[in-house]
Amino acid sequence: MGKRWCFFCLSLVGVILLTGCWDRRELEERAPMLAIAIDVDEEDEERYRMTVQIPIPIKIAGSTGQGGGGNTDAVKIMSVTGRTITDATNNLQLRLNQRLFLGHTRVLAISEEVAREGIEEILDGFRREPLIRRLLWPIIVKGRASSLLEIKPELTQIPVVYIMDLVENGRKTGIIPNKTLGDYFNETSNKAMQPFLNYVEANKRDVKWKGIAIFRDHKMVGSLPPVQTWTLLQLRDQKRGGDVIMPLRGHEQAFVTFRPHFVNTDLTFHPKQNGLEARFSCELQGDIVEVIKGGARFASPEDFIHKMEKELKREMESRAQTMIQKVQEQANSDILRLGLRLRAHHYHDYWVSHNWHKEFKNFPIQVEYTIKLRRLGMEMQQ
Amino acid sequence: MKRQEADSSRYSFTSWQQICLITSTLIGVGVLTLPRTATSRLMEAGWMSPLIGSLGAYFSLWMIAKLSRRFPGLTFVEYSPLIWAPKGSPRLGKWISFPWIFAYLSFLYVATGMVSRIFGEVVVTSVLLDTPLEVIIITMFLLAFFLSLHEVDVVARVNEILFPLIIVPVLFIAIASFQKADWNYLFPLIRVSGKSVMEGAYEAIYSFSGFEIMLIFFAFTKRNDGKEKAGFFGILITMVVYTLIVVAGIAVFGFEELQRLTWPTLELVKSTEVPGLILERLESAFLAVWVAAVFTTVANSYYAVIYGLRQWFKKGLRFQRVVSGLLFIPLFIITLIPQNVVEIFQISSYMGMANLILNLGVPSVYWIVLALRGRRWESKEGKADG
Repeated sequence: MGKRWCFFCLSLVGVILLTGCWDRRELEERAPMLAIAIDVDEEDEERYRMTVQIPIPIKIAGSTGQGGGGNTDAVKIMSVTGRTITDATNNLQLRLNQRLFLGHTRVLAISEEVAREGIEEILDGFRREPLIRRLLWPIIVKGRASSLLEIKPELTQIPVVYIMDLVENGRKTGIIPNKTLGDYFNETSNKAMQPFLNYVEANKRDVKWKGIAIFRDHKMVGSLPPVQTWTLLQLRDQKRGGDVIMPLRGHEQAFVTFRPHFVNTDLTFHPKQNGLEARFSCELQGDIVEVIKGGARFASPEDFIHKMEKELKREMESRAQTMIQKVQEQANSDILRLGLRLRAHHYHDYWVSHNWHKEFKNFPIQVEYTIKLRRLGMEMQQ
Repeated sequence: MKRQEADSSRYSFTSWQQICLITSTLIGVGVLTLPRTATSRLMEAGWMSPLIGSLGAYFSLWMIAKLSRRFPGLTFVEYSPLIWAPKGSPRLGKWISFPWIFAYLSFLYVATGMVSRIFGEVVVTSVLLDTPLEVIIITMFLLAFFLSLHEVDVVARVNEILFPLIIVPVLFIAIASFQKADWNYLFPLIRVSGKSVMEGAYEAIYSFSGFEIMLIFFAFTKRNDGKEKAGFFGILITMVVYTLIVVAGIAVFGFEELQRLTWPTLELVKSTEVPGLILERLESAFLAVWVAAVFTTVANSYYAVIYGLRQWFKKGLRFQRVVSGLLFIPLFIITLIPQNVVEIFQISSYMGMANLILNLGVPSVYWIVLALRGRRWESKEGKADG
């Protein structure tokens, strides 16, 4: 009896564990779109041109026996047009042997031309599709968006991986903002905020991060270069940003490079004659990483540190002024999250009585930097 | 009647089992839509709505516990005739209590169907895209049917086992998503009127429905005086989980974006990155675990309906098994009545209203009747109140 039960249980375990799946879909039987690029069709202005990048599993080195070889062969780039994005996707499906799969899409490249006309209608399909991840990166591309997918980076087999690594490493070091699709959705739904997205330019071999594209009501209205983006990141997200390379005043060939390590920003609002005034106070801690003296002399190390802190403060504040002027006057788009803070903390005394959409342009913003130089690197001489 | 009493006294739930029973019944499909419904009126202050909603739920559960305390070992179906009529005429009592019991059981019955439908809807829209809705609903029914084949003590133990499986993932998601939170989204604290606060709390009520199963299950407790306490902790745990989920939803998305998301909690799971975890797509894992949460809601309510019927007709386990099989057929048809997602949410909003009226109204009515008959009752059955 016991033996029989034992046999029964074993065969039951076998039946449960050794099952197959009759309607399985193997990885190779899907066509994952790693990246999607959206342009305006050259022939018909009304239509979108969608370019996608699909990896070819067998060509990726390390997967099966001999592979690798050519760099560009690892992916297939296809381009279709359509009245809407879903229309284009369906047209693409007509040309593919496998079913398209959106679950692995990591990059959505949008050309500047499309972005300037507004991307709300493009993103609607992405909102509804359950497979789309909110963590994918929409990126605005200068020129044609498809150029981003056509790069041959050599360092990685799949171009999208190159772009992903670029953004990912930038995000980790605090140089490139991590703007995901989810952030864009949140910031456009929110009436107190405006979004921005990463802005890149692609050439044949690689990609260059060119700062950020500023949006207002789903339309791109301007851009910030990297240096100003870093200031924005310091003020908005307390991210460190890149190195500050500053020419020394009064000396022609003298440059000092400062590397911020820790950022601490406080945003406060102070009453002014009619309304409020925003005051950012930003504390930067960091090191000097390069000094090209070019004839500059300092009396003592103390004097050097003191002077540098003063100079850097002046430099950072002027950068911030330029950035804010650009954001307020040219773009007129609150990417600084001032509106959110105002709504959150000054709802009754400010928000209800003002139309932020119009007020932002003339809202007074003060920026005050505090620089704390901690180290001079391995070199002790100033 | 004697047989029934012998049945009931055989099982005894511990306080912990009662807490598990209440919490796991309350937490079900509501948790997926709660961040949206809670913020629809209250905006940034949406997290207040589960807090206020839980007060109403607790008050109602407290009345139910008190009722059950007065008739230890008896379920609602059994003691309802005793309340309405003197002991000498059980038939009269039965007829008067018929509409109340019928209302309760049919509400639970329809609620079971709606929960299964919403569950099916989520699964079909987000993970199993090509599976017919009916298959998912029938699978859930089969699970509930399997539970209905057993006696009450099995229900308690199943809930006890599944309890951590329900609580831990939801808490984990709420806390893990705080790393992306922007606390500015939670302010200003007060911007809406008192009326909207009440309306907002009403939106959360549907998520708190389900505790009325305790009308049946409170009969099987070990100690007669721990019922209010078990009810309190059951609701408290649910409230904490709900509030955390709503806070996480608002802090990650902001209330405006929440209004645009059909399944906000699912989106929360999707946009949560857990550093160091192998799983990148948490939502499939979350949904797999969440099946347990829905199962306890569906199966517990369905069990309560079937057990109520069994006691009404004074039948045994065999009756329960047959009826539980048969009743799935009309339930399946009810489940398929709503034609689209919008209709489903509309119906669940009506269900919230019905739930509010039933759960606050019926126990109050019973207490008023008890109070009116009180003096006579006390003199006759002085020992009834434990």
